[in-house]
Amino acid sequence: MQTHAETSLLPVCRHLQTTSWATAIRLSEWMYPFIQLIHFSGLSLWLGTNVAGDLRLLGVGKKAQTAVAVRDELFMWNWIGFGVAVLGGFLLFSARATMYIVNPAFRAKLFMLIPAALVWHIIVQVKTKGWGKSAETALVGKLAGLLELLLWISVVTAAVEIPNY
Amino acid sequence: MEHLSWVQYVGMTAWLYSSIAVVHYFTLLVLVGTSVLVDLRVLDLAATSRPVAEVSEQIYPWMWGSFWLAIFSGFLMFTTDAGDYLPDTVFRVKMTAILLAVISTILVQRGVPHWGQQPSMPVGAKVLASISLLLWIGSILAGVEIAAISGLG
Repeated sequence: MQTHAETSLLPVCRHLQTTSWATAIRLSEWMYPFIQLIHFSGLSLWLGTNVAGDLRLLGVGKKAQTAVAVRDELFMWNWIGFGVAVLGGFLLFSARATMYIVNPAFRAKLFMLIPAALVWHIIVQVKTKGWGKSAETALVGKLAGLLELLLWISVVTAAVEIPNY
Repeated sequence: MEHLSWVQYVGMTAWLYSSIAVVHYFTLLVLVGTSVLVDLRVLDLAATSRPVAEVSEQIYPWMWGSFWLAIFSGFLMFTTDAGDYLPDTVFRVKMTAILLAVISTILVQRGVPHWGQQPSMPVGAKVLASISLLLWIGSILAGVEIAAISGLG
């Protein structure tokens, strides 16, 4: 039995994957891996900058640069990475939208884990201004950084599980 | 190698293989991200208000930490299907790309202390950083193509 969400989303997904560009991606031998590359490149920038910020918040890394300085420095590339990852992800999704939308691992990733991790990321980014001013971060800041790391790891876990469902 | 008991266990146990895959994906993304960040700094495109030596010193421990985890997790996945991976052209291209990318990153890491002392970033440094960036992206592309072309993994 389909859930309400599934019945309303499936026609949208069907329309999406029959567009000329989504069809081209699905049928082409080289386009899909190339867009995977774009997705992964964006993710590299996103996770690389996040990890640098989170780990600094956790108190590891050179004490000379505070956590807030790390985050400020990398802010632009952090969100460029995110944008590229979302673009790549959307194109990958479009190619096989009706298949992805009913996949439990994908649904967990897109509807639950990414929103949670993203909201938490923004909270940490804002709060770092207070936590990260000194070389040694307060315990709550460290826990927040650790939680963000764990949330993004869970997103990757869900992504890895997609083929298994 | 494929017939070793622990290798078979890794290959057959879904949650274990998935966990290793997660470690591989996460650490390779951090590996490429951090390497690329330093390359971008050398190219004067990221973190430009920080001295290049400081960015490099800050970032490289994470690059190497995630590198070894990525290699280790990758090796575990490799062992489960070693007989199919080893002769595969795309896999060999990926390994070559990674090797070249690591060499380029080591060269950048070694060059940074000297370059940081120059009044402006030498052209050779920027060329090396660009090559390093392309090699890391090439490594990801080759990794992605293994599944697409060879159907492995």
